[in-house]
Amino acid sequence: MTNMKKMIPTTLLMLAVCMSSFTQGYETLESEYRSNGSLMHGLLERPKQSLSQFSAVIYSGRKEIAYGIVVQETGYVITKASEVTESSDLKLRIGATQYEPVQIVATDPAWDVCLLKTDATGLKVVHFADNGQVEQGTWVVTNGATTRRERWPQLGIISANAREIRAEGGAVLGIEIKEEKSGLEIGEIPEKSGAYLAGLRKGDKIIKIADQKITKRDDVAEIMKDRRVGEKITVVYLRKDKQVTAEVELMGRADTFGAQQTRNDTMSGDYSKRRSGFPRVLQHDVQGNRATVGGPLLDLEGRCIGMNIARANRAESFAIPVEELRDVISRLLTQAMKNKADATVAPR
Amino acid sequence: MKTLLLVFFLGLLSLAFAQDQPSDPKRLPVNDKKVPAGVEDMLAIEAALKSVLPAARNATVCLELGQGSGSGVIISADGLILTAAHVAGGVAKDITAILADGRKVKCESLGLNSETDSAMVKILGKGPFPFVEVDKSDRTRLGDWVFSLGHSGGYDKDRGAGVRLGRLVKVADSTSQSDCTLIGGDSGGPLFDMAGRLIGIHSRVGTNLQQNMHVPIREFVRHWDDLVAGKFIGEGPFAEKPKKGTGFLGVGTEDSGDGEIRVTKIGRESVAETAGLKVGDFIVAIDGKKLKDKEVMQKCLKDKAADEKITILLMREGKEKEITLRLGAR
Repeated sequence: MTNMKKMIPTTLLMLAVCMSSFTQGYETLESEYRSNGSLMHGLLERPKQSLSQFSAVIYSGRKEIAYGIVVQETGYVITKASEVTESSDLKLRIGATQYEPVQIVATDPAWDVCLLKTDATGLKVVHFADNGQVEQGTWVVTNGATTRRERWPQLGIISANAREIRAEGGAVLGIEIKEEKSGLEIGEIPEKSGAYLAGLRKGDKIIKIADQKITKRDDVAEIMKDRRVGEKITVVYLRKDKQVTAEVELMGRADTFGAQQTRNDTMSGDYSKRRSGFPRVLQHDVQGNRATVGGPLLDLEGRCIGMNIARANRAESFAIPVEELRDVISRLLTQAMKNKADATVAPR
Repeated sequence: MKTLLLVFFLGLLSLAFAQDQPSDPKRLPVNDKKVPAGVEDMLAIEAALKSVLPAARNATVCLELGQGSGSGVIISADGLILTAAHVAGGVAKDITAILADGRKVKCESLGLNSETDSAMVKILGKGPFPFVEVDKSDRTRLGDWVFSLGHSGGYDKDRGAGVRLGRLVKVADSTSQSDCTLIGGDSGGPLFDMAGRLIGIHSRVGTNLQQNMHVPIREFVRHWDDLVAGKFIGEGPFAEKPKKGTGFLGVGTEDSGDGEIRVTKIGRESVAETAGLKVGDFIVAIDGKKLKDKEVMQKCLKDKAADEKITILLMREGKEKEITLRLGAR
């Protein structure tokens, strides 16, 4: 047992307290009657049907790593990008059928969504609700447990205001800047940072950021203030006396450099690696884990009101509202079409 | 005949049941089913929640003291707050409450029970404040639908207090468990029945997502007067009892000979200095108790703990002056 405010010194005592109060006689509700017991799931026929039709299970080898949403009948599925991009052997399952190979064909870093493609025809595509204006206290359903044939629902409610989740620690280029006599030089630069991906390297000298000349570290902080994840910024730098211009896509500080675990993190089980820096989300209280993210957020009718994009902690999960999700999907499909000619129909 | 008998028998049983539990007109009918019968029942739960949520949320506050923060709930127009003992941290502590609308108000903790994790806090400012009804008659049963509110991880105006829905899954005498997931910052926050009446206060969690423990309201009711009176109850793990003799004022004194205690020295950066005591002041009384000499004063201070609030009556330049301060740590 964990005391939720001052945890460390009293952890053991807490356990003793709970044990004693519960051995002295208590009543308990059998698991099938609980909020997410089997009897509650029996009431969720329509969401369950939707999950089996248009949610996908994403595997890396044999391990379930995320869920996804079918957005086109020819094998296009969206999922949470940061959960799948590091896996090489992606497979997916829709209903009882398994599909492989699976390729990542487009990515939206701001929303952390990517588009997967596999060879398939005649898939049922996501059925959207008219809007994602769902009041707090409204029932919602997500992907719960999975078997080879079945998708089980998991129940919760909308639990807070829809809002922006600013990037933990702000949006960054992803470089450590050293003030040298010769100018501002790049020190550490993580390989997954926006700056590295745009071609910048250790030792490069920064001259301009977003068209503004910079001479000291504070200038950079000033320019980066109030920026958003996914925003693109022009960086001019010197490498071996040659001037180079690059366009850097910003990422969250915690996502780039890593973050210290807070006490709330330690009591949250496994949470999403990327859980901040979203332009607008719905918040719900569905119990899950890191691998239950990426699928649809449904209403009791089985209509999609959003896409689960992060399990932030034990009590808070985020979903992209359907309005923004439609835009994300059409952008991803357009991006994929640029590369391949076979994506034709826009999602309904 | 057999069926008739059986029906009669069942009738009697249900009668006995009904008498056992006083009828509660506000009770959500779905609560009397072991599980909702269909989507209509689920929508009835949803409708009940939505109708009471705004008022419940308005009365839910974030409590800040020292480095951490917890939650609490206002239960009277003049600003009495119920919270957890480990949030209040002690008796007569200075606490800031952030109301749902973002207003910050000063509070002081009243009594607490360190064995069950219950505590009261009082807003010092003038009301009226938004508040909720307390289910003092203890009408909630195992399996009832309940919802929790709390400022998870601290106050966030854009988010508001997060609401979670679940059932009461375990009921013991001094602890309830629900499947409404809680996290740090929710401590001290309210658990409600579906009529929006306060039935418990969040206390602690286990690693399992279903282990969310609350202090039931009956536990508050049991010690109500002592909590209001500012008593520190029990020697449990949820609050540390102030240790007598750890308090430190930081003055040097001498007996003036005619029954007065004269301040001769003020410790640098001591609480006495901060509170404005001066060399040459005469200490007349502490907490209303007249002091005849230095020895009596020392004895009196020995009974006090660090951070304990005391009121000193002084004579300065022939005039009486009262100073209230919190003792430092020895």
